[in-house]
Amino acid sequence: MSTEVAAFRQVSKSYGTVQAVNGLDLVLRPGETVALLGPNGAGKSSSLDLLLGLREPDQGTVSLFGGSPRAAIEAGRVGAMLQSGGLLGEVKVRELVRFACDVHPRGHNPAKVMEQAGITELAERKVDKLSGGQEQRVRFALAIAGANDLIVLDEPTTGMDVSVRRQFWAAMRAEADAGRTVLFATHYLEEADSIADRVLVLHRGRLIADGTSAEIKAKAGARRISFELHPADGAAEESVLRALPGTVGLDLTTRPDGVRSVRIRSTDADAGVAGLYRAGLYPRALEVTSLGLEQAFLTITGEADEENAR
Amino acid sequence: MKTLVQLEILRTLRNKRYLMFTVLYPALLYVFFISAYGSAETVAGGLSVKTYFMVSMATFGAVGAVLTGSAQRISLERKSGWVRQLRLTALPGRAYTIAKIASCAVTTLPAIVVVFVIGAFEGVSLSATEWLGLGLALWLGSFVFAALGVALGYAAQPDAVQPIVMIVYMLMALLGGTWFPVGDSLRTVAQFNPVYLYNQLATFVQPGQSLDLAAVAGLLGFLVVFVAGAAFLYRKDTKQA
Repeated sequence: MSTEVAAFRQVSKSYGTVQAVNGLDLVLRPGETVALLGPNGAGKSSSLDLLLGLREPDQGTVSLFGGSPRAAIEAGRVGAMLQSGGLLGEVKVRELVRFACDVHPRGHNPAKVMEQAGITELAERKVDKLSGGQEQRVRFALAIAGANDLIVLDEPTTGMDVSVRRQFWAAMRAEADAGRTVLFATHYLEEADSIADRVLVLHRGRLIADGTSAEIKAKAGARRISFELHPADGAAEESVLRALPGTVGLDLTTRPDGVRSVRIRSTDADAGVAGLYRAGLYPRALEVTSLGLEQAFLTITGEADEENAR
Repeated sequence: MKTLVQLEILRTLRNKRYLMFTVLYPALLYVFFISAYGSAETVAGGLSVKTYFMVSMATFGAVGAVLTGSAQRISLERKSGWVRQLRLTALPGRAYTIAKIASCAVTTLPAIVVVFVIGAFEGVSLSATEWLGLGLALWLGSFVFAALGVALGYAAQPDAVQPIVMIVYMLMALLGGTWFPVGDSLRTVAQFNPVYLYNQLATFVQPGQSLDLAAVAGLLGFLVVFVAGAAFLYRKDTKQA
């Protein structure tokens, strides 16, 4: 199938008694920018290791461009930047980048690669003498040393300061705009929210959500409707509020003056608000806000934990 | 692969510790031994001190160069993740090991040549063929230890590798005729010491002696064992990623 960049089919992997990846089913399509989210130990790095053929799955199959991961790497179709990927000491940045370009079957010009990765000014520095953020940029340069079709990044911006991070994502977007598929694992939810067009949430080795960032937020009931109900406007039963369409959570507090402040977490805020008026209520100080991916993420992983506990 | 080999050689030659330990140290020891024993003296069946220690210091430097160059670096680079990074390139898995051995092979040359040059100045006199043959024999022999170094590099973590290498290296040197000729009582044990066999490669320069074929065979045996060990440990390491 030519429309698959990468595919996990029922992939499981455990280390001793720890189940790192559990029945993962996943297909990446060309041109997607995909964020992989999950708490620490969710199986993100293990999944990337399996994807790149650094580890073999216990069960299931992993394919890259219809073949084995190793074949894809040898064909120069994949570039990767791993957290655990070390750099060679006692060489200059320029020498290391030139090496990466040389061994890549479709290698780019080293000077161009260094410029793209924003490390031109580090070219003559020894690799051992770099800061954490600088090292990350050198790793990124190694990942884009050739004309890859897929770029895999594991927490790429760890250790970068804010301006460098912005520069990094600009470079990354340029890669995506050139038609490359990008898969990145991250801790920073705002990165996933603003950059990825598809978000995967991994939890305890399972894929518990897969969709656009807006869909993930919706799934988590990621909009908040808040308003006040004044006694002068008439009474309102709590059950009426609970019955509003899309309501997944309700928070009700009564102030000493009798004003009730209501906060509803909703998967369908439009229908919820329409329902409010239909029920004859008069919400004051009405606000509808998005909860953001972070809240959605916490909600989804929290729900998965509750299910596990049951 | 060529670029990786170049890069490895460049790194090793830039490393000052390498130069100190594997080139300067044996050279200084050599000068010291000559003056301590007296340059006119003979050891081990009529061999002059300066010839004997020229060989033993050349092998000492060469073994040190390959053991530290391969074992410690491989172990460190496994830990740092460079080995993983390389697995994400199109280079075949063996390229890394081959590059390490190739760079070792290049870097043993200065260790051998420097001691030879001092020897020549001190009055060791050999024919041109003997010089070349001796150099070639010692250079080829160093590959046995490169294989051992690769095996050790895959066998242990960096903090353990350093003492292991030092102990193995010093024991082999002590009982292999590096600092003093192996006496009759030790000779039976020495037959199983690769450094002793390595030193024996040089006996052909003595009058009336030819190449010690038993030593060559012994070294080949060690080479096979070390390569098999290195291959086994390499595969094990690859599975653990």
